[in-house]
Amino acid sequence: MLKTAMCCSALAIMCAGAAQAEPLQVALVETLSGSQASTGLLYRTAAQYGIAKINAAGGFRGEPIKFVEYDSQGGPVGAADRVKAAIADGARVILQGSSSSVAGQISEDVRKYNLRNKGKEVLYLNLGGEALELTGEKCHFHVIRTSPNAAIRFQTLTKGMKELGLMGDKVYSINQNYSWGVDVQSIIKANAETVGYTVVGETLHEVNKIQDFSPYVAQIQQSGADTVLTGNWSNDLLLLMKAAADAKLKVRFGTSFLDQPGNIGNAGSVAEGNVMSAPFNPELNDATKAFAEDYKAKTGHYPAYVEPYAVFGMDMFAAALKSLDDATGPVSANEIVLALENTKIETPVGSLSIRAEDHQAEMPMIIQEVSKEAAFKVDGTEYGFKPLKVYTGADSADPVQATCKMKRPG
Amino acid sequence: MLKKLVAVIAVLALLLALPALLSESMLNASVQMLIAALFATAFALLCGQAGMLSFGHAAYFGLGAFATVHAMNAFGGDGLLPTPLMPLAGAAIGLISGLGAGYFSTQRTGTYFAMITLALAELLHALAPHLKEVFGGEAGISSFRMPAWGFEFGSTIEIYYLVLGWTVLCIALLWGLTLTPFGRLVLGLRENSHRLKFLGYNTHALGTFVFALSAAFAGVAGALQALNIEAANYVVLETQVSTAVLLNTFIGGAKVFFGPAIGAAAMTFFGHVTSDLTRSWLLYQGIIFMLVMMYLPRGIVGEILARFRGEGGAVNPVAVLARFAGILVAAAGFVMAIELTQRFFSTDYKAARQAGGWPAVEFAGHMWAPFAPLTWALPIVLIAAGLGLVTFINRREARRQEAQI
Repeated sequence: MLKTAMCCSALAIMCAGAAQAEPLQVALVETLSGSQASTGLLYRTAAQYGIAKINAAGGFRGEPIKFVEYDSQGGPVGAADRVKAAIADGARVILQGSSSSVAGQISEDVRKYNLRNKGKEVLYLNLGGEALELTGEKCHFHVIRTSPNAAIRFQTLTKGMKELGLMGDKVYSINQNYSWGVDVQSIIKANAETVGYTVVGETLHEVNKIQDFSPYVAQIQQSGADTVLTGNWSNDLLLLMKAAADAKLKVRFGTSFLDQPGNIGNAGSVAEGNVMSAPFNPELNDATKAFAEDYKAKTGHYPAYVEPYAVFGMDMFAAALKSLDDATGPVSANEIVLALENTKIETPVGSLSIRAEDHQAEMPMIIQEVSKEAAFKVDGTEYGFKPLKVYTGADSADPVQATCKMKRPG
Repeated sequence: MLKKLVAVIAVLALLLALPALLSESMLNASVQMLIAALFATAFALLCGQAGMLSFGHAAYFGLGAFATVHAMNAFGGDGLLPTPLMPLAGAAIGLISGLGAGYFSTQRTGTYFAMITLALAELLHALAPHLKEVFGGEAGISSFRMPAWGFEFGSTIEIYYLVLGWTVLCIALLWGLTLTPFGRLVLGLRENSHRLKFLGYNTHALGTFVFALSAAFAGVAGALQALNIEAANYVVLETQVSTAVLLNTFIGGAKVFFGPAIGAAAMTFFGHVTSDLTRSWLLYQGIIFMLVMMYLPRGIVGEILARFRGEGGAVNPVAVLARFAGILVAAAGFVMAIELTQRFFSTDYKAARQAGGWPAVEFAGHMWAPFAPLTWALPIVLIAAGLGLVTFINRREARRQEAQI
């Protein structure tokens, strides 16, 4: 009796499987353990939030999206392994964002897999790997970047600071000596003439190794700079600002990653008045406030740092899927990419679209300063980010890099 | 001898048959395990057999990987260096850089030697991000495995056999080396280098050469990794890679030939399986290393071999089984405590608490409430029972051995 019952249920499961379409499988390949897990976990939260929203709205082609997490163990080698595993498990879309070195690996892995497996292509949604070459020489049809990059961040930052009168004439550029910092430095120098400032000094220093920034601060002091522009993140940003405060240096910092959780809590009053260009600010309007509250209700905290634009990237993905929802059967990665190119959505901060030439997202950027007047305080301090100026996606867009030679299918 | 031969043939047959037995994902894990095994065996030539503890073997592994990626791009899988022979590029760069680094570092022994190897590796690690042309910047250098010799080299199965071939060949060469007079001299270097010097051997030249050989085989391992992931990134030069091979070698047993390979394969497999199951897998890995160092200082394989040779008295199978059971029970309790703690402090739990109250979390198919006595009593009881059993068995065995004397 028991045996027949089991047979029947097995049959029923098989029948159900045949009748319904295979659900679309989305894999998150992130650093979820070890010393670099904090950013990876933020992307995980944002991706979960985005997928839950799609599934709450009915999923895709009548099936909820299957979301699977893979731990890349921190580096490109682990990520390569996990991408293979994810594809073997049936994933058609890969999500990742926390590191450009992993992004470079996944982007190339996906390119090669698609070359070798025509008709079974996979899409890589790069939620946050910002290295310029990912939409430059490494660009290809099956990778989409939904985050800003060095050019977008620093063009808007310099323009915005100038227009708001927060930029002095003498600018000091200090950055980390690897591809990101080098990219930022070249953009700061390239924009000097058009925006109207002089770069009085520039430094590239070791990444996350320096404990004492006072020699660099002395250099800044000597140069007579009144504004410091830096793409530094994590400790390199924190210690730099603290060393500048200790030396009573009267400068304003223009940055890109000041909103990393813990930064303001750590820097405290030292950060006050410093400026940042980022794709989100919760105080901007009613829509951003509603989004921030909804995110908090679902995840336990306000969206910060990489989370907002990772969520908007997921919204973009959701909108593209929605445009393909009428058909039945499995969807190909090529269809999703084409849909993404043709989708334009309204996020709480403004319209977001993907540029077909290099698959870089065009998104609004918000110039904001650390202030006690901000409505949303961060890290349990009295400070928050107060929005000063918004650039629309078209205004903040960077030119397509000449090195991107995308081969389109068919 | 015959027994050993049969064992080796059986293992080889199993390795050859693996693609038919495993899923794609597991086969890929096997590729990683083979690479880690070769790297650890190459490392153990220096660290285990010659007694020189290097803290910087990531450098030679990484250089091998980068040389291979550049060779892949330069030759396109054709001509002088077709795809299957690519690891020769890794071996060459490993040998050359190993000769240079070995010349300097083997001037000193012990801690100073370790410090020099660490410094050289860190030098390379600090330099690499600045040399975008050579090391490719943050996104790394990528390449493409081109077809050669009638093989596509596109599927995991083909790359598995390629890596298997090279790993078996290299480990066989390293094994053969231990049987030669040179291999004996290497052991002499570890046991008493002063005496070796008095006998008229040039210990510095010998040390340099062992270092270079070890680096060359590490370069092959790096090359195989570059072939497998078709890319190289400067993060491969990080200290973490040097430490991982060191941990693997000591967990397996640095002084027995197959110990490092087995240790590396086991730990790679452990990482592959557990990293998708739990966020705390690095903690468990660290604890395993600590326990092995404290209670099995000869490494897992070294300790098992010692027992087979009859060291430490006759083995009582019942006692061994009981100890295992005790350790498993205690480990289950410990894992439960860690996993529950981790879940209660996670951001997911913080989000779940939004609705108010203290919801229960899922672990091993059951729900556990944070303030229920059973949630915390069960792991404590398990740990106490497991450790109690092990202590009891140990005391009884000790008494029995005393009685025998």
